[in-house]
Amino acid sequence: MSNYKEIFVKTDKCTGCLTCKIACAVEHSETKSLFSAIRESPRPVSRVYVEWLPGNAKVPVLCRHCEEAPCLNACISGAISRSDTNAVITDAGKCIGCWTCVMVCPYGVIGRDQTLAKAFRCDRCPDREIPACVGACPTQALVYETVDGFSKTKRKTVSRELLTREGA
Amino acid sequence: METRYLIVGGSAAGMAAAHTIRKKDKTGAITVLSDEDTLPYFRPMVPYILTGKKQVPDIALSGTGIFVQPRIDVRTGTIVTSVDPVAKILTTASGKTWSYDKVLFATGSRPYLPETVKGLDSPGVFSLKTVADAAAMAQRSRNTDHVVLLGGGILNLKAAFALLEKKIKVTLVVHSPEVLSQLMDPEDAFLIRKALDRAGLKIMTGCSADHVVTDADGVCAVALDNGTQIPCRMVCVGKGVIPNTECVRGSAITVDKGILADPFTACSVKDTFAAGDVAVTHDPATGEKTVTALWTNAVDMGICAGLNMAGIPTRYTGTLGIMNATQVAKEPFVAMGRVHTKGRDLETHIDKTDTTYRKIVFNKEGTRLVGALFIGDITHAGMYRYVIREKKPIDRIKSHLIRHTLHYGHFM
Amino acid sequence: MTSETPFQHLTTDPAVQQMLAKAKENHISTVWDRYEQMLPQCGFGETGLCCRHCLQGPCRINPFDPGAETGICGANADVMVARGLDRAIAAGTAAHSGHAKHLAHTLLKMARGQAKDYKITDPVKLKKVAARLHIAVDGRADTDIALDVAKAALADFHEKDTPVLWAAGVVTPGRVEVLSKLGLVPKGIDHEVAEIMHRTLYGVDADPVNLLLGGLRCSVADLAGCYMGTDLADILFGTPTPLASQANLGTLKKESVNIALHGHNPVLSEIIVKVAGEMADEAVAAGADRINVVGICCTGNELMERHGIPSCTHSVSQEMALVTGAVDAMIVDYQCIMPSVASVAECMGTKVITTMDICKITGAEHIDVKEETAAENARQAILQAIAGFKKRKNKPTHIPALTNTVVAGFSTESIVAALSKLNAKDPLAPLADSIKSGNIKGVCLFAGCNNVKIPQDINYTKIAAKLLKENVLVVATGCGAGSLMRHDFMDPAKTRDLCGNGLFAVLNAIGEANGLGGPLPSVLHLGSCVDNSRAVEITVALANYLGVDINQMPVVASAPEPTSEKAVSIGTYAVAAGLPTHVGVMLPVMGSALVAKVLTQTVKDLTGGYFIVEPDPDKAADMLLQALNDRRKGLGLV
Repeated sequence: MSNYKEIFVKTDKCTGCLTCKIACAVEHSETKSLFSAIRESPRPVSRVYVEWLPGNAKVPVLCRHCEEAPCLNACISGAISRSDTNAVITDAGKCIGCWTCVMVCPYGVIGRDQTLAKAFRCDRCPDREIPACVGACPTQALVYETVDGFSKTKRKTVSRELLTREGA
Repeated sequence: METRYLIVGGSAAGMAAAHTIRKKDKTGAITVLSDEDTLPYFRPMVPYILTGKKQVPDIALSGTGIFVQPRIDVRTGTIVTSVDPVAKILTTASGKTWSYDKVLFATGSRPYLPETVKGLDSPGVFSLKTVADAAAMAQRSRNTDHVVLLGGGILNLKAAFALLEKKIKVTLVVHSPEVLSQLMDPEDAFLIRKALDRAGLKIMTGCSADHVVTDADGVCAVALDNGTQIPCRMVCVGKGVIPNTECVRGSAITVDKGILADPFTACSVKDTFAAGDVAVTHDPATGEKTVTALWTNAVDMGICAGLNMAGIPTRYTGTLGIMNATQVAKEPFVAMGRVHTKGRDLETHIDKTDTTYRKIVFNKEGTRLVGALFIGDITHAGMYRYVIREKKPIDRIKSHLIRHTLHYGHFM
Repeated sequence: MTSETPFQHLTTDPAVQQMLAKAKENHISTVWDRYEQMLPQCGFGETGLCCRHCLQGPCRINPFDPGAETGICGANADVMVARGLDRAIAAGTAAHSGHAKHLAHTLLKMARGQAKDYKITDPVKLKKVAARLHIAVDGRADTDIALDVAKAALADFHEKDTPVLWAAGVVTPGRVEVLSKLGLVPKGIDHEVAEIMHRTLYGVDADPVNLLLGGLRCSVADLAGCYMGTDLADILFGTPTPLASQANLGTLKKESVNIALHGHNPVLSEIIVKVAGEMADEAVAAGADRINVVGICCTGNELMERHGIPSCTHSVSQEMALVTGAVDAMIVDYQCIMPSVASVAECMGTKVITTMDICKITGAEHIDVKEETAAENARQAILQAIAGFKKRKNKPTHIPALTNTVVAGFSTESIVAALSKLNAKDPLAPLADSIKSGNIKGVCLFAGCNNVKIPQDINYTKIAAKLLKENVLVVATGCGAGSLMRHDFMDPAKTRDLCGNGLFAVLNAIGEANGLGGPLPSVLHLGSCVDNSRAVEITVALANYLGVDINQMPVVASAPEPTSEKAVSIGTYAVAAGLPTHVGVMLPVMGSALVAKVLTQTVKDLTGGYFIVEPDPDKAADMLLQALNDRRKGLGLV
């Protein structure tokens, strides 16, 4: 099992405030500050998406950095690679904007910069200890954990819930 | 005993297989025999060699993406002429023989040159497939201000744009009523056609080349079947490809258009595999046998073949006969699965605006998504591909598919 | 000895630092804790790109999503931001003028004999105000004049034949002309607030510039509310004259019944001070040495400027007064009272007493205070405090041994009076001459609050220190005054160290001439936040004296740590009045490049004033100095 940290989504905690989207765009801006990023041209864009489901569920969606990543196999220009920290990253310098990665991504999380003809996606914020979206999430709907750590926490929560239920 | 893997063909399928094998088998000997003189490269990047925007080393496979495994012995300029799959021996053009434990045929395809058009063997007639083609075209293009391209498929469109970038006038001669006829119905293509016209491509549809007119310097014109002649010093043929099956012909390996591969990428003889453009596989959208010529499919199938060769039985999920994403003249588009609906009994939904065109195709019962075509806005295309390929039940998501509001949340 | 404390990044006030340590020890959640928990704050709110004005919403425009450029109704970022800002201005206006209206009702009831606990304390001011309103004064009884003034005040709230008199009558003639030309003269204070609510409603005004002009007009109504508040408070409770007092948490006394009066309006606090003076025996009987009334926020300023009541603390550190464990009752009226005081009080075993119908807090005790029964109500509240003292007296307290000397009580009247000691015939001449000569480079008004996002007081003290050295005359109101007083800027003993030579010479001359045996304090305390009107009054007087309009005067304003929407409306009327106005916290307008540009640039061509948004205090000081120099140049001064 991978010892690298990943971004996990707890949809039940998402309030749909889109703070993650703003934090992501700011982190991927030149100036890295909200008030100046807003004036940059081109405007930085977010790589996190928050979808909505009937019943008012909010679903943050972002690159899963798949173990068997279809985009990594599909790229026709050698722009997509796996980083030292196991993230699947797109090298904008090599990307030619053919959108093959967009065509094969089953999560729909690869964005397109139409002007520059470059694909972009979550890069897990390589310059930060914790990705910007995770750091910004006010409800901890986004967590940065190893797969192991995440399932342990989940197990704990579940067993706590069970205990409470049994105790009651 | 270490396994000796032999891979014939050093492009997408072959190299994907080689790197996949190395991931699973750290000790076996992996040898790739490539008929090209260049080390493996990203073939779809060839137009960039023609424009001069990239040099051959810039587009090398090695060290990028999935092509990062060590100890893969690539022999360039090695043309395999025959195989004895029972004795497990290959013979090359130089007369050298190679014995192996397992072999993969990933010999790819080559441009189809219609015999009906005379003179396609003249100097100045090209197909843009290899870096060698690109170099030769670049050379010839210096003395040319007009190129006639035969065929209106993606490869020719890419070649046309590469030439336009070099300030060379281009005329496309397209037999079909519209460009990209392999990927969409003529009426689907109007946005792309508009963009192509805007970009300065001259496109003549509904006519074909009759023959190539030559003089001492090779090509000097193309004569059309409507009686007209277009003067030009260069011709580029893009009328599809045919699988390179020559080296297995006469052997015990079954060939039918391409090399037949079973769902586990295996050929009719033991320890023999096929992948990529040369392999005949099946289309999950139509269920029919199919041969495709797409980098992405070739890589996928190569990976699958690599796993099977390394002893990990892996079923190949098949390739959509039609599957392509690209951007021409700043117009992005994706075509997947069954997109030709004209005269067919299919449930089709078309939604168009000034800048976007979307066609969503279900089977005639409307119970399964079988095709999708997006032009202008290709957002979430991958999710449609997933639904088509995995034959996902659509009862809960059908309206989202039609209205283009599908997102990952709907799969949760 | 200065020791490093772990709370320096939160506050620069050492007394507050001590209390933060105490709060931490006792697990008391403070505003700083809650701020940290609130982070990250929503970028849509921060940039003004969130709208809840209709039930189809909430809408937010993601500035980084090119596909979503409008809200559901079609309002774009400019409209959304302008509407939001307008509503903030309207809220601020409603608050200041609500405060003034409360005073007007009190004056009216007093004049009608229905509020026996109130009287006309400054008949001179009454007549001055009446004259400005063209109300006959000769030969009339004060109460009759007061009745007419109160009626005129109340009439200024609604639309009527005349414009708002407290606006049109208090600025320079040139300013009246500018405002009239732009359509910025308010018709009625409440009318303007209501009209902002109307035009920012779903589907009304969708022209961002038109919206901003509406906001400017509403802010002029806010000036009227402030001005009226000052006028009426001075009439009822006296116009401030210089006096000495003390500030900071050390003003709480372990052995006394400590009553902290918090909020804004002197209508209640004045009576508490008076009644507390009469109840000393009851306090002594309970084992206390006396009743010690201290102020918090603008109530503190109102009481300090008129009675020298000490100011305990201000704004963001209001909870800290309770953390001392020494407050026996916190009696509040309205505005800037963090609801959290009720829970901190509960932790400390003390009480918060609310007194106003419109401001109740769950967990606090409520005593409904009416002008008709004010003294009785006050007595009731003070008894609660005495009871609180009895419970508390044997328990330990943690009062920081820190107080600051303050000389306060500067009003237009008291400043002119002080100046007249230098030139009895022409009192403004010494000030005007000092400005002309460059002894005084200009004037800067500090107003506003503390803001939890900024280490408490750091922007005030850094900017003021720099400006004083550059010989800028600094005046302060509200929690800006509170901030500077807690860092010795109002201690005359520090004037020499703080001021440049030119400014010191002027302050010293005035002080000596008035028999103080030394200079005035380096920063002049003009009172509470409604008393920003005093700054306007002095500026107008000086402008008229010099024969120029306000937009030519070397006068700037700064709200370096604003929190309340009242700071937004004050800042806006400073801009409408023609002043370069610094704001040290990002206004929620960055989501619209257009609105940001109008506020910081375009408006300059209209009113001459403009916003300077700069969080960095050093840069802000330089920008304010630059603005003053530009103005001096415009007047042909070096």
